Amino acid sequence: MTASAHFPTPSFKRKLPALLSLVFPGAGQVYLRKRWRGIAILVMMVVLVFLIQWAFDNFKVGLWDFGPFTTSWLWVALSGFWAWNVFDAYRLAQGRSASRWLAFLLPLIIIYVIAWQVTDVKLDRLVTRFSDAQIVFRAIANPDLLERDKAAQIGQTTFWVPCSSPPQPLPTLAEPYQLRTDVACGDVGEAITLRGQGLIPGMTGNIYWYLEPDGTREGQVREGGQAVEITIKADGTFETTFAIPKIAGLDGVDPANPLLQAIQVRFIQEVGPLHLSATFGDIIGRTVEGVFIPGQIFATLALGLLATIFSTLLAVPLSFFAAHNVMERVPGGTAIYYVMRTILNVVRAVDTIVWGLLVIVWVGLGNLAGLIALTIHSTAALAKLFSEEVEHIDHGPIEALTATGANLLQVIRYGIVPQIYSPFLAYTLLRWDINMRSATVVGFVAGGGIGFFVVETIRKGGYREYAAALWAIAVVIILVDWISGKWRQRIAEGDTKMVLLRPKPWYKSLRKLIYTFLLLAIFVGCLSILQIDLRKLFDPSPSFGKLLGDFVTFDLSREVLDTVLKQMLITVFQALIATTFGALVAIPFSFLAARNLMSRTWLSRGIYYVVRSIFNVLRSIEALLYVAIFVFWVGIGAFAGALALTITTFALIGKLFSEAIENIDAGPLEAITATGATRLQAIVYGILPQIVPPFVSYAIYQWDINIRISTIIGFAGGGGIGLLLSTFFGQLQYHKAGTAVLLIVLVIVAMDFASAQIRQKLV
Amino acid sequence: MLQVINLTKTYPNGTQALKQVSFEVQDGEFLAVIGLSGSGKSTLLRCINRLIEPTSGQVRWDGVDVTAASGRDLRNIRRQIGMVFQQFNLVKRSPVITNVLSGRLGYTSPWRSLFNSFSKEDRARALDNLEQLGLQDKAYVRADSLSGGQQQRVGIARALMQEPKLVLADEPVASLDPVLAHTILKYLEQMNRERGITVLCSLHFLDLVHRYATRAIALKDGEVVFEGLPHEIDDAQFKAIYGQEAERVSIV
Ligand SMILES: Nc1ncnc2c1ncn2[C@@H]1O[C@H](COP(=O)(O)OP(=O)(O)O)[C@@H](O)[C@H]1O
Ligand SMILES: [Mg+2]
Repeated sequence: MTASAHFPTPSFKRKLPALLSLVFPGAGQVYLRKRWRGIAILVMMVVLVFLIQWAFDNFKVGLWDFGPFTTSWLWVALSGFWAWNVFDAYRLAQGRSASRWLAFLLPLIIIYVIAWQVTDVKLDRLVTRFSDAQIVFRAIANPDLLERDKAAQIGQTTFWVPCSSPPQPLPTLAEPYQLRTDVACGDVGEAITLRGQGLIPGMTGNIYWYLEPDGTREGQVREGGQAVEITIKADGTFETTFAIPKIAGLDGVDPANPLLQAIQVRFIQEVGPLHLSATFGDIIGRTVEGVFIPGQIFATLALGLLATIFSTLLAVPLSFFAAHNVMERVPGGTAIYYVMRTILNVVRAVDTIVWGLLVIVWVGLGNLAGLIALTIHSTAALAKLFSEEVEHIDHGPIEALTATGANLLQVIRYGIVPQIYSPFLAYTLLRWDINMRSATVVGFVAGGGIGFFVVETIRKGGYREYAAALWAIAVVIILVDWISGKWRQRIAEGDTKMVLLRPKPWYKSLRKLIYTFLLLAIFVGCLSILQIDLRKLFDPSPSFGKLLGDFVTFDLSREVLDTVLKQMLITVFQALIATTFGALVAIPFSFLAARNLMSRTWLSRGIYYVVRSIFNVLRSIEALLYVAIFVFWVGIGAFAGALALTITTFALIGKLFSEAIENIDAGPLEAITATGATRLQAIVYGILPQIVPPFVSYAIYQWDINIRISTIIGFAGGGGIGLLLSTFFGQLQYHKAGTAVLLIVLVIVAMDFASAQIRQKLV
Repeated sequence: MLQVINLTKTYPNGTQALKQVSFEVQDGEFLAVIGLSGSGKSTLLRCINRLIEPTSGQVRWDGVDVTAASGRDLRNIRRQIGMVFQQFNLVKRSPVITNVLSGRLGYTSPWRSLFNSFSKEDRARALDNLEQLGLQDKAYVRADSLSGGQQQRVGIARALMQEPKLVLADEPVASLDPVLAHTILKYLEQMNRERGITVLCSLHFLDLVHRYATRAIALKDGEVVFEGLPHEIDDAQFKAIYGQEAERVSIV
């Protein structure tokens, strides 16, 4: 006899939760006091229904065409999830629960199918259009930093278009002539033969057609899309046949009125030793009459440094208003605290680039706009970090100093400053690193710095110049990253070590003095490099007020909301795809970059250093700068943006993953091996539990970061809401831009919160 | 002479921490304040130098009304009253010498002190005080690298820098091992005997009161329930102060 026979559960009572969940997903779970499980199911259900419908309406995702009606097969997958929810309620009522696998798998399938199509992923293009990408890769391997002088040889002759009757005679040329055609006249498309003699052998060149013998309207002679190339033979002659190009007929082809035009050949050869190129001068700097004129990379350094200095100065006082322990002592302070916190979170959620768009309305394009945009974002981010530090201030010393009769200023100097100085400095150094990275791209919209230079070179198709800029950025950022990291490490060590602070010898104070002067000199140097005119700050363009007014009166009309929401969702999915790709590729590499696994032989150590360096180099360049490569490779759009993000994700996540692997505790592995488990079992039970939670946690964190970057990736042709935003700003439709920014803020703040919650659960 | 007259403190949340507390402390006394945790000892000591604003009543120090003073006058009174804390309240990241010198801030011009510039005499005095407390070789070490007992000695050195006539010590040994408790209290006793500094010290253990105090008052729920010589606290008194379940324990 079982117990249940004595206490029979009414079968209805067991089925009720399942019934509830059938009618209303999650209701059965809530009824069984699994409140959070129920709510999670309901929320998931609502989100999926919305996404499937949205994706079908906008992109026909999962299309099933039954003739009279069409639908999406994703509804079937959703029904599966619904069925799972009913089954789960049924099992819960029996004190068990349904497999969680299915609960995660079905929504994941739905989300990835949508993300794949919305982001327009076309992996085949990576292969079929690889030859296009090779042009960029060749440029990257051969950046425009060094060049040789060019020797040029130019020959020219005249030609009539078209022939008159009788045909014009060949011009009589004095020997030795350089160039001549076989006929004196001809019509567009007719083949002519061009001969040359008395030229320097070995050089190669191209042919150019001039509409007027002395005019500026010229065109290169091409055959089948390629420029016709000629090489001078050893005896100084050449011969080539080509069709008269279309440009020859631009001014009309009239036998009654033939036009005298010109044919030119230009032979160019690199001669002499390598020297620094003009692009090198633009990027790094050049010496003119003994004076060094710094290039764009120094402007970028100056931007990052000044933004850090200014934002620190602003963030220090602000952080006290955002610190709970300070504000609760002031009447009305709690309200100020909440307002301040909200402002900081909103300002932080808007990317530097977007701030740039707003600022240029105020002060116009240029270094100042870039500096202000960087400073605004950095101030908010720093003030938040600082305020958290202020909240940790120990009140004891303040009380003790007050008790000695010290005044307010003295209490601050001796009780508060020593407590916050080194954490503030560490955060400032961290922020310097971040600001430097942002400074490399702020020029995309605001002007100023190397970002502006990159935009220009991409526009002109100058891939070797673009490559030169990328290399310069990589070097500078890696350097900044290293200095900032080392310095922060020293601060952290100083905090834990028992440092013996002897009284300072005189030269130490001298050194301090020298540092102070150096800092001042750098500060003044930065200002002069950027040639900032602070007066512009107080002289906004007359339309600024109106545009700002437009900006905060959001356009909430149906069509604008639909467009903005559509692009925002594309952005979120684009970030998801990029995170997934990046993380998947990063997993195998992260094992190669884990010191504990790779320190056995010199070969593995070599691989370790190579992979680490790849991570570091790729990480040093912002995703926005990579977009150009992929636009060229797979075409403009969300997929190009996703691929650019994939590169940075790969590098960032690869580094984090490898650190997680380095932190593996060998103890469990040993213990499980000792139980007689196989190697595979030992890995599955001893190692996987140690690395899966951090991997997932990092991936979610990276998704969060990627959504932020995704919002701006459209500025370089990477699709998503950035493109929309730059259109709105470009067309001065500020009320629409306001809507877009509002949605960005909402999504980013929400994602921030959600990702923090999920990660907290994981670890 | 310190006079506390009808001192009352009601916290904003309605807690009555002190109720009409009155007593006097003669110069040169070592007065122990005892009572259960929550009985108002900390509140009382902090009302004396106005780290906490009393709700009503008066504190008079050498005939000056402390409760009426403000601004510079208040700071001038505070600098004559040293204070030692249960949690030491040192600036952990600063070197010991700076912590000790900060006891001098009330005497230093604000602008000078902003640049960490103290007079030669002050520095010499700081080193001297540290030596008397057995910490001469720790002067240039960060405060948080010291042990608890050493940190409390730095706290005493800081109070000594004020050249105080009165020292308020709020459970100065409650965070320390029993052995260290004696060391610290001996320093306070020495200060009291040799320099004639009046000491007002809240203590937890009765036998420490017996050993060091010249007189004692006891607080219960913010009211003075005993005032007299330490050895006058008999079992009945003890139960009245500490409650019926309390038992006498002694520490080494
Ligand atoms: N800042 C405060 N706000 C409200 N109540 C307080 C505050 N500080 C102390 N109290 C209350 O006042 C009473 C006396 O506290 P305290 O002076 O710290 O006692 P003791 O030092 O003897 O333990 C206690 O009930 C305590 O809870
Ligand atoms: Mg207390």
